[in-house]
Amino acid sequence: MNQNLHQAGVKLLNALSRNADLIMQVYLSGTLHESEASPGVIDNLKKLGVLWRPEPGAPLRLKKAIRNLLEGSLHDERNRQIDTNIGSALASLKTLAQHYKEALHNHRYAEAQAHLNDLAEHVYALAESLANSVRTLFSRINNEFGYVASIDAKIRENELAQSQVSELLSQLEMFRFDELSEVAGGLRELRHLLVVALQQSFSRCTQELSMAQSRLLELLGRFREFRGRTRLLKGFLLHMEQQPDFVPANYANHSQVPALFNLAKPLLQPAAVDVNRVDHEQDLLLLVGRIKALHRTEKPHDEERNAQAIDVESQGQVELDDKAIHQAVEAYFCEVIDTGKRLTALQYLTSQALEFDPEVWIYQVIGGYQGLAEEDRQYFALEPEIEDHPIFTGNKIVRDVELGLR
Amino acid sequence: MISEQGRILERLLSGDFICEISDEDGWRYLKQSANFEAVDQYLATLNRSLSSAADGQVFFAAYRTLGDSERKVLSSQFQEIAAGLLPLVEWLLLVQQSSGSDVPVTQGSTIRSNELQSTIEDTPAYKEQLAKIARYRLFNSNSVEVVGQLNLVFKRLTELGYLMKPNPDKLIYIATGKIDYLYEVLRFIDETEALSLAEQAESAIQQGSLL
Repeated sequence: MNQNLHQAGVKLLNALSRNADLIMQVYLSGTLHESEASPGVIDNLKKLGVLWRPEPGAPLRLKKAIRNLLEGSLHDERNRQIDTNIGSALASLKTLAQHYKEALHNHRYAEAQAHLNDLAEHVYALAESLANSVRTLFSRINNEFGYVASIDAKIRENELAQSQVSELLSQLEMFRFDELSEVAGGLRELRHLLVVALQQSFSRCTQELSMAQSRLLELLGRFREFRGRTRLLKGFLLHMEQQPDFVPANYANHSQVPALFNLAKPLLQPAAVDVNRVDHEQDLLLLVGRIKALHRTEKPHDEERNAQAIDVESQGQVELDDKAIHQAVEAYFCEVIDTGKRLTALQYLTSQALEFDPEVWIYQVIGGYQGLAEEDRQYFALEPEIEDHPIFTGNKIVRDVELGLR
Repeated sequence: MISEQGRILERLLSGDFICEISDEDGWRYLKQSANFEAVDQYLATLNRSLSSAADGQVFFAAYRTLGDSERKVLSSQFQEIAAGLLPLVEWLLLVQQSSGSDVPVTQGSTIRSNELQSTIEDTPAYKEQLAKIARYRLFNSNSVEVVGQLNLVFKRLTELGYLMKPNPDKLIYIATGKIDYLYEVLRFIDETEALSLAEQAESAIQQGSLL
């Protein structure tokens, strides 16, 4: 029988390990997509009690025992169920203790040993389930109910957890150690199990539970605060939508200004440099050194260097008034032609009482002669009256020119 | 070297709010009642007193006695606060909604501007909301791009002391205690004007009108 059980267990575990992927997929998604596995494997797992079908037509699910195993070993925080049934566990403990005592009394030691093992199993299971419950509670607290998004859901989850804590605490009150020690009597093993082991786990559990409870209350307070703030914000927005011209009364004008709005005006300005402080010298020198050498000495204001408005207009044309002298030269030439006599330029100048400078006049006459066309010039002869310069030899001075016809 | 007290006095007199986020050392210093008294005494010379709000989360300098000129200052300050309420409230709700965690922004909340930006860019409703917020006089943005609007809003909020950028190279902002002060102001207005804002919001939620 024992051998068979061993073999069956090994077979089950082997099946689990062979189909580990499939089982984890079912564990994570909740149900099995039957198309993803071969029918033989599914049948086998169903026979072994790993998978089951809750209702005809419903998808296959993992058996609770397997799920519990995974949740317990993986410390999966998705497990939110807490076993609070301590009363029945205690009752079965007492019953087993009675069995053990009776067997011992009748000197059936083998049977007594079996009962004791069973009892130990139960005690440790109870201790473990208590520890597990506390652990799941704490994991939920530690991630602040991160598995639900909205604050309202967090508050609901928190309230659920609180009720579970108080349930657990009230269940823990069912531990009556005086009764248990009476049941244990003078038997050492029984006493160790019922009194020492249970009491240890009991005290640890109550201590952690009270901590969990205070943390939960604290969290609830925070969530409510969050909710209050969100509502405040949304309410304000709503109010502004309904009354867009809402302006709160100016509380600063009240006789008692609320402390909240009593904000003093900023007062401090950066301090100025004190160049006379010796202990600042080093720093100031450094600062001065960093200033780029730009010698922009302030120049005195110069009115004339100011930009001035410039008038741009077309310049009046400068006309050289050389018409009169040209005409006079032409008249002189005509006079010579008309009279047919030789006539010096200066004589003509004085006779006609012209107002030109004699030197300019002579230049103009020479120019007029040179300016004649070659054939015209052949009719005239121009003879200058020249004398030497009194000081510089070789320099001649034209005193007058005489014009005659050839 | 300036003493811790001197440093704190300087900040207070510059109009800063001291909270656990903006100046942890200073905040802890002022939390000690002896230090609180000492700083308060110093401020008294300048007709100022040390004041705290939001359950001691923030400290700031207040006037000790109020004359006409002080009242004038307070009055204009209050108008500024009142004018800034709506844009700030809309901004807080936008951040809260787009973060997806439904947790309001409070002191110490971190806001990653690039994450916020991508969420807003992906959601036309948030985009519109941001554009509306950025156009308020408080922010005064005329940018049409989400990036420009967001950058300006973050910059302004940092200037105003509502946010802090602990690392200049990273786009992570932390809400300061001034945000909590803002909630306090809202709560005060709610109570004094008997607006019952929370009830309004609750009934709106129950009626299913989504904000």
